[in-house]
Amino acid sequence: MKLAHALIAKSIAESILVGVLAVTFYISAFPPTYHGWGEVLPDGIAGWAVNHASPWERVEVQLFIDAKFVATATANLNRPDIVAVGWARDAWHGYKFDGLKVRGPGRHQAIVYVLHSTRSGSQQTLQRLGDPIWFNVDDSGMLEPIYTRRFVAR
Amino acid sequence: MMSHDLDTTTHGDPALAGWEIASVVTSCLIAEWTIFTFAGGSQVVGAIPVTLAIAFMIFSHRARGETLKDIGFRLDNFFRAARVLALPTIVAVGLIILVSWLRRNHQFAFAPLRLRFLWVPLWALFQQYALQGFINRRAQIALGAGVKSVVLVALIFSLMHLPNPLLTVLTLVGGLIWAWAYQKETNLFALALSHTIVSGVLALSLAQDLVYNLRVGFKYFG
Repeated sequence: MKLAHALIAKSIAESILVGVLAVTFYISAFPPTYHGWGEVLPDGIAGWAVNHASPWERVEVQLFIDAKFVATATANLNRPDIVAVGWARDAWHGYKFDGLKVRGPGRHQAIVYVLHSTRSGSQQTLQRLGDPIWFNVDDSGMLEPIYTRRFVAR
Repeated sequence: MMSHDLDTTTHGDPALAGWEIASVVTSCLIAEWTIFTFAGGSQVVGAIPVTLAIAFMIFSHRARGETLKDIGFRLDNFFRAARVLALPTIVAVGLIILVSWLRRNHQFAFAPLRLRFLWVPLWALFQQYALQGFINRRAQIALGAGVKSVVLVALIFSLMHLPNPLLTVLTLVGGLIWAWAYQKETNLFALALSHTIVSGVLALSLAQDLVYNLRVGFKYFG
């Protein structure tokens, strides 16, 4: 083997190493197995969240409104509709943030994140569930959805 | 030509030598930055780029017909090399102690000795081998012996110590001296001795807020 060949072989090996490390890290920190969706109710935000890598797990979700943390909850409420459409094996993956006090009138954005801990527990990450949820708040403090084009669970 | 054994006119393509340097430097940067970022400092994963770099350096030495003596693993010129390094090493140690004394309100204070300091001579020898025995020799093929190759070696040595600000500056100066000394007398043991003395005094005498446990790469941040 020539020196140039050794150089190329070493470069390929290191590229593969860095690639594997990057993908492994990303999957470990942000597993692509979480799915969920949220919607606006007159008095709050509700939805469902499931981890397909651990179907019986009740995942923890956090609500941010206008990029500020508002509340945390465990997705363990009854949602038979998600079993019917095949998103979960059991119905106990719903969540609801109610009694929200959002300043109105005006337009706001809510994002629901799922909280994930790495196996070692040394890192915790937040992943967005579904799309950002846009809503209006009227004078009486009631929430009203602003519908956007995409309705795809993520 | 200086008194080293490297005949740069017969060692082939300067561009290839440049790529060899880039390859080994890349391995070191991967070990320092990528492993700690992605694998949390796993020693097993960290050993992969280091092993690849060592294997490549050994292969390169064989391909170029370099012997251990050519590289600098020799004792016949140890005292000549030590004489070259004595004054810069004494000056460096004196300056480090002086700075330490000034920063500690005119008092001498040394950190306690730790068991891991026993590894410093071996670690210094390995670093000097990679830096001088490989990179300096390839730099001489690429740029010729003298100022250009000495500066390149020092810059690479300094780059390896980012983002630690004090070590980056010190290794730039140390790299210039050690690379110059290697080109005068090709002896890695004398260089490792000088390296051990300077880094030992540095670790023991300077406050941790300055040297930060001699940490470099991603590990520097914690």
